[in-house]
Amino acid sequence: MSDIGNWNEAANELDAIVASFDEGEVSVDDLFVKLERATLIIETLESRLDATKAKVDELAPRLAKVTEGE
Amino acid sequence: MSDEGLSNETVHEVGEFYQLLTAQLESAFGRRHPHWVRGEIAKVYEKSHMYVDLVDAGSTSSDSKRPVLNAHCWATQWAPLKRKLASEGVTLSPGVIVNFYGYVDVYAPQGKIGFTITQVDVQGLLGDVARRRQELIARLASEGLIDANKKVSISPVPLRVGLVASPGTEGYSDFTGQLLRSGYGFEIVLVKTAVQGEAAPQQIVAAVETLDRDGVDIICLVRGGGSKGDLAAFDDERVARAIAACSTAVFTGIGHTGDESVADLVAHTRAITPTKLGEEIAALVDSWHRRHVRLPAQKVLDATNELLDEATEYAAERRRTMIFAVRDRLRSEQRHLGAQRGQLLVHSRHLLSSTAQALASARQLLGAYDPSKRLAQGWSIVTTSDGGVVRSLDDVALGDSVRVLVSDGSFDSTVSEKNGAPS
Repeated sequence: MSDIGNWNEAANELDAIVASFDEGEVSVDDLFVKLERATLIIETLESRLDATKAKVDELAPRLAKVTEGE
Repeated sequence: MSDEGLSNETVHEVGEFYQLLTAQLESAFGRRHPHWVRGEIAKVYEKSHMYVDLVDAGSTSSDSKRPVLNAHCWATQWAPLKRKLASEGVTLSPGVIVNFYGYVDVYAPQGKIGFTITQVDVQGLLGDVARRRQELIARLASEGLIDANKKVSISPVPLRVGLVASPGTEGYSDFTGQLLRSGYGFEIVLVKTAVQGEAAPQQIVAAVETLDRDGVDIICLVRGGGSKGDLAAFDDERVARAIAACSTAVFTGIGHTGDESVADLVAHTRAITPTKLGEEIAALVDSWHRRHVRLPAQKVLDATNELLDEATEYAAERRRTMIFAVRDRLRSEQRHLGAQRGQLLVHSRHLLSSTAQALASARQLLGAYDPSKRLAQGWSIVTTSDGGVVRSLDDVALGDSVRVLVSDGSFDSTVSEKNGAPS
């Protein structure tokens, strides 16, 4: 697993990168480094999300069975 | 009585006497002429025929002189009468005040003058039953027993159900069927009892007490529909008191819609039929299951889906944002470089232009100093033998050979004299 920390830590870092772009603070020299880091974070988050969705898809029918009639 | 008297009087044999007596009675009442007789039942005995001792209402057995009417109802008439009474929930028992319709008879073998019953005033008896029922209810109310069991708290999930019923009856099947069909894991602790007849009340009382000790969640008294007589056990005072004294909530499902027994009044919860009672208990469990299991599960499911949707949207939005941010940043740099490139071009052109202009000026200036033009004007250029231009007298010595350049050629000469310029 990549060293991006937990979801919130990774999301905070990603938000900070996006903010630095919004504020025009990124130099061309830093651009690739930041883009690479942001891509890594996004891909890792999406990968975690897919894994979580797969687990939820497995559990959801069982939970849905409990909620039948609602 | 004197012997003389005896000789003048007719002496009857016993049988003859009874015949005479019967004739006299029939003369007085008419042969088998019916009459209504009201009285309180002092004793009742049944063996195919029904025998009852009727006394004046309110009289006491200690009164040795109280009149007693030995009444009886022969089996052929008693059987249908008994069925009718039973269907109305009426039992002929000591203490009941009843109107009998019948006729006087004499039964010589036992030396009895009796009363043959042909009808019973059922309506009157019903009124009496209703009155006694109301008296029982009033008594229970005055003792605070109507609401006693209603104050008992019940388990929020009454899955362990004590059942007082008769297996194989419709009421039993209706009730248990509802619990089984509910899908919940009810445990039914059954105590079999008769649910009608004389033995029923005592059996029901014992069953209620047994289940109360057993620690079931609730106790259900179940009995399907029937005549008032069939349901009479549930109007019994002993049953009512057992329910009131029970520390477990007692639920009833007795009879059909419209039937309301004393047991129903005293019970914690009353359903109109066994089926309804099953439904209501299943609904109690279902309600708990809904509140504590299904709704929380649904909330978890909804929250999970919402969180996943948010997270998915977040990741997608960040991906889009990064792409646009980087593209914007690169375009900005491209624009900046483009602007600089343009400026550089302008500056270069300007520089070239000014350089060309300077060159032209120089060229023009240089033209002014073209030696050929000077030579054409008559000027000449003198150079020494080594090619140096003679600019001063000091550049040559007398006798030096020099070359003189003119517009159309040159010629050589020798320095023979040097003359300084006039001051």
